[in-house]
Amino acid sequence: MRAINKITISLVAGALLMVGCGTDGLKSSEANVATKTVTEESLGLRKTDIYTEDSTIAVKTEYGTAQATTSTKIRRAFQDAPPMIPHDTIGMLPIKSNDNRCVSCHLPEVADSVGATPIPVSHFTDFRPRAELKDGEVFIPVNNYKNEVSIKKGEELQNARFNCTQCHAPQSQGNLVVENTFEAVYTSKDGASRSNWKGSTLTDSLDTVIGGDSFITEKDIANKNSAAGGGSEHH
Amino acid sequence: MSLSRREFLKSSAAASAAAAIGMSVPAELEAAAAKAEGDWRWDKAACRFCGTGCGIMMATKNGKIVAVKGDPAAPVNRGLNCIKGYFNAKIMYGADRLTQPLLRVGADGKFDKKGKFTPVSWSRAFDEMEVNIKKALKHGGPEAVGVFASGQYTIMEGYAAQKMMKAGFRSNAFDPNARHCMASAVVGFYQTFGVDEPSGCYDDIELTDTIVSWGSNMAEMHPILWTRVTDRKLSKPDRVKVISIQTYTHRTSDLADIEIIFSPNTDGALWNYIAREIVMRDDAEKIIDWNFVKKHMIFAAGPVNIGYGMRRSDEKSVKDGKYTALEMETVSKEMKKVVSKKEGPALEPYGYKAGDTMTNIPGTLGHWEISFEDYKKSLEPYTLEYTAAIVKGNPDESMEDFKVKLQTLANLYIEKGRKVVSFWTMGMNQHTRGSWVNTLSYNVHFMLNKQAVPGSGAFSLTGQPSACGTAREVGTFTHRLPADMMIENPAHRKTTENKWMVPEGTINPVGVQHIMKIHRDIEDGLIKFAWVNVCNPYQDSASAHHWIKAAREMDNFIVTSDGYPGISAKVSDLILPSAMIYEKWGAYGNAERRTQHWRQQVLPVGDAMSDSWQWVELSKRFTVKDVWGGYAPSGPRKDALPSMIEKAKAMGYNENTTMFEILFANKIAKSYKVDQNDPIQRGYDNTEASGDSRNVIGSDGKVFKGYGFFIQKYLFEEYASFTRGHGHDLAPFDMYHKVRGLKWPVVDGKETSWRFNTKYDPYAAKAAKGTNDTHAFYGKIAKSLKSGNLHGVDKDTKEKSLENKAKIFARPYMDPPEMPDAHYDTWLCTGRVLEHWHSGTMTMRVPELFRAVPEALCYMHPEDAKKKDLKQGGLCWVESRRGKVKARVETRGRNRPPRGLVFVPWFDENVFINKVCLDATCPMSKQTDFKKCAVKIYKA
Repeated sequence: MRAINKITISLVAGALLMVGCGTDGLKSSEANVATKTVTEESLGLRKTDIYTEDSTIAVKTEYGTAQATTSTKIRRAFQDAPPMIPHDTIGMLPIKSNDNRCVSCHLPEVADSVGATPIPVSHFTDFRPRAELKDGEVFIPVNNYKNEVSIKKGEELQNARFNCTQCHAPQSQGNLVVENTFEAVYTSKDGASRSNWKGSTLTDSLDTVIGGDSFITEKDIANKNSAAGGGSEHH
Repeated sequence: MSLSRREFLKSSAAASAAAAIGMSVPAELEAAAAKAEGDWRWDKAACRFCGTGCGIMMATKNGKIVAVKGDPAAPVNRGLNCIKGYFNAKIMYGADRLTQPLLRVGADGKFDKKGKFTPVSWSRAFDEMEVNIKKALKHGGPEAVGVFASGQYTIMEGYAAQKMMKAGFRSNAFDPNARHCMASAVVGFYQTFGVDEPSGCYDDIELTDTIVSWGSNMAEMHPILWTRVTDRKLSKPDRVKVISIQTYTHRTSDLADIEIIFSPNTDGALWNYIAREIVMRDDAEKIIDWNFVKKHMIFAAGPVNIGYGMRRSDEKSVKDGKYTALEMETVSKEMKKVVSKKEGPALEPYGYKAGDTMTNIPGTLGHWEISFEDYKKSLEPYTLEYTAAIVKGNPDESMEDFKVKLQTLANLYIEKGRKVVSFWTMGMNQHTRGSWVNTLSYNVHFMLNKQAVPGSGAFSLTGQPSACGTAREVGTFTHRLPADMMIENPAHRKTTENKWMVPEGTINPVGVQHIMKIHRDIEDGLIKFAWVNVCNPYQDSASAHHWIKAAREMDNFIVTSDGYPGISAKVSDLILPSAMIYEKWGAYGNAERRTQHWRQQVLPVGDAMSDSWQWVELSKRFTVKDVWGGYAPSGPRKDALPSMIEKAKAMGYNENTTMFEILFANKIAKSYKVDQNDPIQRGYDNTEASGDSRNVIGSDGKVFKGYGFFIQKYLFEEYASFTRGHGHDLAPFDMYHKVRGLKWPVVDGKETSWRFNTKYDPYAAKAAKGTNDTHAFYGKIAKSLKSGNLHGVDKDTKEKSLENKAKIFARPYMDPPEMPDAHYDTWLCTGRVLEHWHSGTMTMRVPELFRAVPEALCYMHPEDAKKKDLKQGGLCWVESRRGKVKARVETRGRNRPPRGLVFVPWFDENVFINKVCLDATCPMSKQTDFKKCAVKIYKA
């Protein structure tokens, strides 16, 4: 996959518009750029003219046909990114409420023995504090004004994680139309092959306002310093 | 138990509270892992994509995004994202990001419409825009200056654009792509509640017993809401029922207890069938909550002969012959049509029968009060027999089985003590009777008292991340002003003008140039300047060939601002490089009224600058005398617009005061300080306020050093001041940076979960003060009506006040204007896929998403393929009266249509399906029906 990702578009437009890490070199001086032109067709994803359809054909889908046990795993796109599906899925989809074939190989207790990526602990963790009706009153078990979390490690695959294809998709082979310059940085040695999102990392850095009070204060609500009209004066 | 683990561990009281709710403190404190991320900065943000509005945690390192994860503290999605949500990490890094303005020029370096693109400075770009806007104003007044706006604008961008368009240019030719996704829902809200946006919230999913998805593929289009539905269903499989009502089988049906495949456009008949069951069985079974209905409801009707939102015969391009004879076969139905056998029985209570000619008036929002008896009459046709006969959409399903499903559906709604949520998105909205179907949904819920209560309600889901937050709430529509105020209301214009510190009378009182009208006005030669903001109207509009031709071949100037060059950029004369979502401060509002803010995470690429910067810089080019003089009648405006120059002088401005000074850099704006000691701003870039290390050469040819004040906070706070005290109350700016969004109205720091319910909504409580009422439907719009019956209004009746009441509407089933026939024998439905966002400009540049779905396929039934001699994976033509495209045939994929229907998604530039689609709209909402037209399919 990495090799395929390296194929770059070699167009005038590509070179002209390409953004590198540094942008200093791109400062436009009118005299310099006046000679460079780009055609409409060279821009964007579609390289044929947009006024007729005769010579336009979509990029063909060519999912990997390797069987589940023999396919080569695809590197995760970044730390804890959902892994993509490297194997043929014919006969495995759709997932139905009584028929989820993904779990038969990917549950941790069997995954290793068949060479499948094991479903990580995050998928066995319940993150949702559910609203309930108790004696006609709605009860929500956390205080959202304080960004409270509810994290419970369970034994079963969480129902919220049942729809595997919502995050994991098979990958077509062949060239990209446009390269992507994102650079992954892994914080663990095996970050490209397994999830490390568990334990303390689940709640790391959730306090995003550093300094001052992280929670809503009376002063925030009063909003006295808003010259455009701070509070609900009409209420 | 706060989210801070440090604080948490210190507090034993909090620890016991945590135990009580079952939170387990992570056992293994992996300090090493935390250290490895030492030079990462995590911050909260909102997802770029759908209307669900998930919270993400985003990591940056050395000025680049390096990772995204689900935010465990975000109430919407609690630690989980969908595939698009995770890949927010990569959307800004496509290699062909636009980094410089590009202008079409000739050999002499001057602008040339037929020329190729060449990079130009921001200064040159604004010069060209200034010249062409002035030319357009001279040609046709404010009506000649148009903007394709967006439901993906940040709140601040939408508000900046609205100010400059409506107060600066005095133009209402300003309408968002959100028109295409939820305008019918909005008309439904205004007509029913008198105020926009849903009563419930996503917690309804955990509280309900029944989830009914009406024409919505939630599993792909609102995946995180679907995980909540899945969780609810699988946790209580016997009690919780999921019903999937669709025109073809897809992933949402894969989890359903019952799937109902209906014939396109007949969902309204299905709603009326359920309503009929409720009304006709009420005597025997006591189904209707009459106490609730009598106290809170009235019954209403409107005209039915309102056309299909297509062009009328007196419009210039029709008269000029720009529509082919083949196209006119459909378009001519805008003026009159023959009532079909299918719709005849449904229209009988309204005075039409099969074979009659119906002469259409232009679409109208008009309606009047009717009696319950008349409402009952309107329901009489929807017997099980008639309904099943017109609704059944799968020719291979038995009629008897289908009837059982309809009865089961009605009984689930009716069952006492069963909570029901009805969800929908594009299926009900993109519909030539979309506004009607939206109102029909509330009828059923109202009669059962299953609306605006926890766990029950008809709940319109929006498609775009800020269709609610920006398009609807800020009011970036041709007819709207902030916070549910309307252009046509003089008091609303005055309130807005005062807040904006512009002369009373500045705002143009005619606001009818909706997004399809903008396209059509360009084709008619009225609009001479158009600017595309955060959308892709040349790919996303039906009958696309007309608009592309008008842009490229007529005398006009089209500008597109975007992160990447899409179809709209290609057909433009000038392309501007825009900063993308995490390269600027912003806020979005989702489908449960939740407003969420984020900070600028990284610097934009190249010379890209935010859309709000582009608007503010443009405002520097226009003075009082340039834009506030008088204008002769133009286009839809039949009266002159008076000059505001003398009034402006009386306010202390002069002829040369710029719109920048008035609208954006005024004394109130400057009170919002740039301050690195402010915990909200500390450590974060703000390119607009302070410039940045790129030293971009700005619109005046000098390095842009920033406005010197906290412009995003100013724009938000000024906009929010319209909402506060008016039932739309937004919280103060800083509050949003401390929490994971809040559902408005936020009153005294508290959000509102169920509107109109006196127990949960302080505005309802206030309206119902002194009574024991459970509800108050306090919306103010169209709350005074004359009376009539199903045939029309009695003009002699007096208008009656309907304060605090909602409406139950009589609306019949009607055919769409184009249906399969002998020549075009197949229904075409378009839509989206999970892995791509809209026209694919961002997601097609993310390798994982591109590889997941690199092309738009033509999904069809295997027997249809066989009959047409098509092979799985082979190419076919999909051809309508308007145009044709090639696509590969898919007979076994995730979408499984019945015989007679194909589904082709619209994200793929190479499968330009909007050349095939018809630009018919709901004549009330003006929202295009992308779900229905007739095509033929043959081997390519």
